[in-house]
Amino acid sequence: MRRHLARTGAASVRPGHFGVDDMRCSRPLLSGQVVHYLLIVALALLLCTPPVLDAASGAVDAGAVTAVGAPPTNADPPIDAPAFDQAATSEVVYTDNVRARLIAEQPTLAPGGSVEVALVLDIRPHWHTYWRNPGDSGEPPRILWSLPDGLDAGPIRWSVPDPIPVGPLVNYGYSDRAVHLVRLALDPGWPMGEPVAVAAEATWLVCEEACIPEQGSFMLILQTGGGTAAASVANATGATAALFETARSALPSPGVVAGNLSRRADALELRVPAAALPEAPSDLYFFADEWGLVNHAAAQGWSREGQDLLLRLEPGEAVAAVAASGLLRATTADGPVAVRVDATGTVPVSEGTVLAADAGVDAAEDANLGLPLALLFALLGGLVLNLMPCVFPVLAIKALGLASQGGLRLRHRLLHGLAYTGGVLAFFLGLGVLLLGLRAAGAAVGWGFQLQSPLFVLLMAYLFVVLGLSLAGAVTIGAGLMGVGQGMGHGPSGAGPSGAQPDGHLGAFFTGGLAALVAAPCTAPFMGAALSYAMTVAWPIALAILMALGLGMALPLLLLMLWPRLARALPRSGPWMETLKQGLAFPMFATAAWLFWVLTVQTGATGLAAGLAGALALAFGLWLREHMRLARSPWPRLGAGSALVGLVAALWLGVGVLPPPATGQQAASSASAAQRADDAALAGEPYSADALASARAEGRPVFVNMTAAWCITCLVNERVALSRPAVARTFREQDVLYLKGDWTNRDAAITDYLAGFGRNGVPIYVYYPTMGPPKVLPQILTEALVIEGIGAG
Amino acid sequence: MTLSRHIATAVAFSAALLTAGVASAAPEVGKAAPGFTGTDTAGKTWSLAELKGKPVILEWTNHDCPYVVKHYESGNMQALQREATEAGYVWLSVISSAPGKQGHVSGEQAEELTETRNAAPTAVLLDGEGSIGKAYGARTTPHMFVIDQDGTLAYMGGIDDKATTKLADVEGSENYVRLAMADLASGQPVANAVTRPYGCSVKY
Repeated sequence: MRRHLARTGAASVRPGHFGVDDMRCSRPLLSGQVVHYLLIVALALLLCTPPVLDAASGAVDAGAVTAVGAPPTNADPPIDAPAFDQAATSEVVYTDNVRARLIAEQPTLAPGGSVEVALVLDIRPHWHTYWRNPGDSGEPPRILWSLPDGLDAGPIRWSVPDPIPVGPLVNYGYSDRAVHLVRLALDPGWPMGEPVAVAAEATWLVCEEACIPEQGSFMLILQTGGGTAAASVANATGATAALFETARSALPSPGVVAGNLSRRADALELRVPAAALPEAPSDLYFFADEWGLVNHAAAQGWSREGQDLLLRLEPGEAVAAVAASGLLRATTADGPVAVRVDATGTVPVSEGTVLAADAGVDAAEDANLGLPLALLFALLGGLVLNLMPCVFPVLAIKALGLASQGGLRLRHRLLHGLAYTGGVLAFFLGLGVLLLGLRAAGAAVGWGFQLQSPLFVLLMAYLFVVLGLSLAGAVTIGAGLMGVGQGMGHGPSGAGPSGAQPDGHLGAFFTGGLAALVAAPCTAPFMGAALSYAMTVAWPIALAILMALGLGMALPLLLLMLWPRLARALPRSGPWMETLKQGLAFPMFATAAWLFWVLTVQTGATGLAAGLAGALALAFGLWLREHMRLARSPWPRLGAGSALVGLVAALWLGVGVLPPPATGQQAASSASAAQRADDAALAGEPYSADALASARAEGRPVFVNMTAAWCITCLVNERVALSRPAVARTFREQDVLYLKGDWTNRDAAITDYLAGFGRNGVPIYVYYPTMGPPKVLPQILTEALVIEGIGAG
Repeated sequence: MTLSRHIATAVAFSAALLTAGVASAAPEVGKAAPGFTGTDTAGKTWSLAELKGKPVILEWTNHDCPYVVKHYESGNMQALQREATEAGYVWLSVISSAPGKQGHVSGEQAEELTETRNAAPTAVLLDGEGSIGKAYGARTTPHMFVIDQDGTLAYMGGIDDKATTKLADVEGSENYVRLAMADLASGQPVANAVTRPYGCSVKY
């Protein structure tokens, strides 16, 4: 049995060379960060080889077992079976209780291709064999392959089992017939025409009440040839085709559903989105992947609660030590349907509490945050948003506008402040409605979803380029977006050609909305808990939380407006304002540069080229327009036209040329550019549920980092904590596997993982010790926190 | 950061207040082992309460179960019984097979089995009605429980880490009962205190 585990070895260390000492997200050193981002881009371009991902799925016990003992007895066949294609079927092995054979789907195999084989056990009536988790007793079948070099066997693909009661105990297994599918892949270099010998020793335990261990040796000779030969034979053998078709229909549905497992007093509650299963199932049953998670013999109650299906399970003996995953089988009128459920993220409430108290940091992880606390967190989160680098440029404009109207009366200022607050709240309300709408539709959306769309990123980059040009004085946009931002300060220039000069209050309103829009992706430490809470509660509470978030964000400016002393302390307008205005162009360009970097991570060099070309066309068009206007050209419309042409060109480049964001496997490899750039100091492996599960099965500690190129908190954490030599050393010493998931583009596996922790945004840092439940680290990391977090402090 | 620490501590504290200890009937490592009274092959009564002051090992067994056969054919179980009893343990083999089910034996048959297999338990308890087995949640044969001299359950689970019927797997396996005894002897908590019991189902 060969296993393909693409593992790149232990974490290697390269000293961090970015020289940033303590740059948290709350410190708006934007231009400083951009220098780092540019370095990261350079690194990303240098290291663009994607890692090989492990395509094999499911941890399967088909390991080292050799068949010894007495030859099988040739008892009467237990049950009849149809005649299978002789050329693709092994000799039948008769044991006391089973008739066993190895069958290939086709007798012919092409080099570079694969064939599915099945170990078929026809079981004596009332007897049974076992699933990979046999339940209270028993043992799963094992297959030990003896294959020539060039032929590789995958893991057993286990079909959905039945619960089999044995007295007061329950086993998971199969009655009548158990079919174990395995894919065999042949190397492309295999000489055409040379037959392939497939040999296997299989052992299985078969029980009624008494249990008998049995085994058999199997041999199949497959011919090699082209695809057509295989197809013609396949058509001729209906019984074999039907067997494989039936076996594949008994497999769980592809994909993994994120569940949430929590401990309530003496019971386990498994929550799974109802949309993941067929409508109105008549029954539900959860098969745990491993012994110890649930009491197999206990009755399982279930009910529908809102958008979720809720299963009540009895905890097993090692509930905290084993992976919270399994199969959920729904019985429907059309037969059973099963999905894989992964709830590995969840920390049982009791353990979570202890951890939070120990670490003194992360109680916000608790998904059962009370409503007043959640609102408080949301409010604080909103306040912290003001300090986010990506909202700072907008606030800078705001402060500039404020400075130019020091003489306004209180009533006027109050109205402006309230208008700004209204803008922020309107944005959050809109977002909340959208979020809830999507939630209702069953879509798994993350908080940073706007910046996961490359087109959105590009449009934001264009916006910031234009804002920068305007601030720098290269172009004048009277009533464009810049005017909206500046509207409160009555604008730096006169009315623009569009004639839509907004009044001050409307400007304040739009500035609020804009500030909220750009701040949203920067998930501040408090937002994770408040938002995950919002996603799990009834819609009025969810909206209340988003409103509190918005209020927190608008509060500083509102207070500034209301507090005359603060307002009076602001300097009077003067020539310094123009200097400041021009200076503020650079944060705009910095933000644009950052957005272009995000775009590169999302779409690669082609996307960047398209984006930069678009920005060039847009800038040129605007410059031409400005030039015509100032030169009092006889063709004023030509200027406006050129700006329009520039805009259209930019949009065409954005919509038409921008490659679509990579998906699935591709996403993992394209995201690796960002990963590799960040991994200069501490090499991580791309996150996959399999990698996590297999490392945990080996007892190896794992550190999971979920990140995204557009998440500044994530990047700063990597700079100031995770890329530190001391951290890398500790990881190496403790043999910690560092798994990194990149959520720059939408990735269902990572969304599921986040949902497992009740989150819908990055960053999240989770440490899985060898024993015991996973431990969630805070969202703002320091070197000491990480080392302490993995128990080496 | 400081503020978040304060809030986190406050939340942790209030959550800790809500999370009260939960009593459970199932045996739990670190808690008092479930009490029992049983009769051995000679008609003698054994109760856990009377054994206080002595460490106890419970072994669920069924001589016809291939997993049990593996440990007796290899001499593994007998060696472990001798090792434990010499270290001062009371070793009780428990047969919970119901009358008419596989593994159910009379006192005479059980004694004969002990003799022919050269086994060395302190006593063999006949639990045909399954009351001891159900009190301990015994699921498989073998299923092992180690109770320290204070009556606290120190270990429950499989005999070792090789869940097979192959004799050859005994050598090189990690015997969890032996490890638990070593941990207890050195005054340490048992490292692997709960493992998966493997074997045939107990024939209640």
